[in-house]
Amino acid sequence: MSLIKYLIRRSLYLIPVFLGITLLVFSIERLAGDPVQIATFGNTHITEDQRQRIRQYYGLDKPVYLQYLHWLSELLVLNLGDSFGGGSVSNLVGQGILATLELQLLGLFLSLVIAIPIGIYSAKRRYSVLDVTLSSSALVGTSIPISFMGIAFILIFGYYLNLFPSGGAQSTIQSQYLYGNVILDQLWHLTLPTLVYTFAILAPVVLLVRSSMLEVLRQDYILAARASGLGDRAILYKHALRNALIPIVTYVGLYFGGLLAGAPVTETVFNWPGVGALFVVKTNVLDFPVIQGVVVLITLMTLVANLVTDLTYAYIDPRIRID
Amino acid sequence: MAETLLRVEGLRTYFYTWAGVVKAVDGVSLHVNKGETLGIVGESGSGKTVTALSIMRIVPAPGKIIEGKIEFQRKNLLAESDEEMRKLRGREIGYIFQDPTSTLDPVYTVGEQLSEVLVRHQNLDKKSAMDRAVELLRIVEIPDPEIRINQYPHQLSGGTKQRIAIARAICCSPSLLLADEPTTALDVTIQAQILETLKGLKDRFNMSMVLITHDMGIVAETCDRVVILYAGQVYETGTTEQVFENPKHPYTEALLTSVPHLALKRERLSVIQGNIPNLIEPPSGCRFHPRCKYAQQICIDKVPELEPMEEGHLAACHFARELKLKSPVTS
Repeated sequence: MSLIKYLIRRSLYLIPVFLGITLLVFSIERLAGDPVQIATFGNTHITEDQRQRIRQYYGLDKPVYLQYLHWLSELLVLNLGDSFGGGSVSNLVGQGILATLELQLLGLFLSLVIAIPIGIYSAKRRYSVLDVTLSSSALVGTSIPISFMGIAFILIFGYYLNLFPSGGAQSTIQSQYLYGNVILDQLWHLTLPTLVYTFAILAPVVLLVRSSMLEVLRQDYILAARASGLGDRAILYKHALRNALIPIVTYVGLYFGGLLAGAPVTETVFNWPGVGALFVVKTNVLDFPVIQGVVVLITLMTLVANLVTDLTYAYIDPRIRID
Repeated sequence: MAETLLRVEGLRTYFYTWAGVVKAVDGVSLHVNKGETLGIVGESGSGKTVTALSIMRIVPAPGKIIEGKIEFQRKNLLAESDEEMRKLRGREIGYIFQDPTSTLDPVYTVGEQLSEVLVRHQNLDKKSAMDRAVELLRIVEIPDPEIRINQYPHQLSGGTKQRIAIARAICCSPSLLLADEPTTALDVTIQAQILETLKGLKDRFNMSMVLITHDMGIVAETCDRVVILYAGQVYETGTTEQVFENPKHPYTEALLTSVPHLALKRERLSVIQGNIPNLIEPPSGCRFHPRCKYAQQICIDKVPELEPMEEGHLAACHFARELKLKSPVTS
């Protein structure tokens, strides 16, 4: 099957990219400082000799390339190692990734469901009052950084209106659960970050769908479809939308990768227990194994997102052939 | 007297752009009799395509039909509902566009695009629409229709794509076929084949045809009557013989003499000096006067009326009766 061959070939391309990224992060984090120094800072009872012994214990005294090769060989047997602070990296990252994906995928799904109809409507009724309102709001929305929007939402809905919790994924003690139900409580916590994610993705997608639809609606094959007596719905949804989706899929794929990379910021804003927040906490103490683990995961997810993007538009557009 | 299928009277279609109102079609009248082929000739920008799109009522924004009458099968098309027009398009009037590469949707197969029209107009189910689509490909002389039907436009040659566009236009055997420069985008050898196919289909399905072109050679070969458009107005009309052998408008003469002709052995090809005028503020009087070698003061001051020269032969020129215009056909 050509599809399987394509997948294998694409995966082979991913190997050098993956190695490059991990090597880069590996080197940079070691240039950033000495975790032993940070962990023992201000501790007057510890001697330089003892610090050196700790470094030896974790293998931090060896040359960087040897450390990298060792880490890589462990990765091949799916061992991400242990955190300097205790606990296995796989466990830490594994707990975070579900929370991260929950937020990302939900936000992505909701924003597409809302943005595509709005974009189509705006293109169809170009320059109408509603179109101008929607597309200029989308422009404003695109210009607001997601972290700023997050803080603004927390202030308004969490602090002033007190409608939603301002952070976390669930209440700490059982008596605070919303209606005493753990599921409802989690949904309640999920609302605000999801809203922010949705808005953040929504705005640029609206603009993109609108401009992409306008571009397609000018094409001769749309005029030809009208000349064949097809109905407005068939023209708009069957012919125009499918063609307009090609650039949208590309963009959303890339944007999703960008969002994953932005997870450290957003998750910190909402104190969301995902890999992004974990990354920030562990970067502050230079917990190398955990940083590496998160980078591996985000890299893999981004690469997979790109792969899914390629497959999707090959499916939509027959001119892009997979073989 | 032949029965009239389509009659357009005083059609005005304007485009409301930021730069101003473009009077793309400004008072065009013409008619098509049953079974005949009418040629609409003019340079790029003379309003040929907009006239045809107006007949279908699919002028793209910011264009608008602002005045006129379009009578087809004794129905006033400008008074029909949108739904009635949709039923008419593709079923009673077929339309073939200039560039076959851009008029087929790139993401659907040939079969999907043909059967979609059949399903819409003839209440066929998908399976029988597909069978009919294969048959249509055979009718427009495409080899291996069973293979072509499942291919996408980018896998086909320009000539084949145009044949598919033709198949789509005639799939419901319309009584009128509007062919807008159907061969302009194709190789010369393919052009002749496509024209042959069109002629054959016209007879086979008993259609009338409007052939839009800027090629006087094609008109001579294919059309029974011809309308010469310039700057959105009709400047001469008559049977092909009348217009070719005895042109009454200087613009027609210029068009005829600018056709390369082997027998005439001219050193240089004659060209019409200047360009088609700006249609936001067209020239006063006769719109052709800035480019006309016979122009007088009256041509600047007064708009010429379309006047009969002989039975069925009309021309809009102040000097139509006085000028002895040459035709390369008679010389």
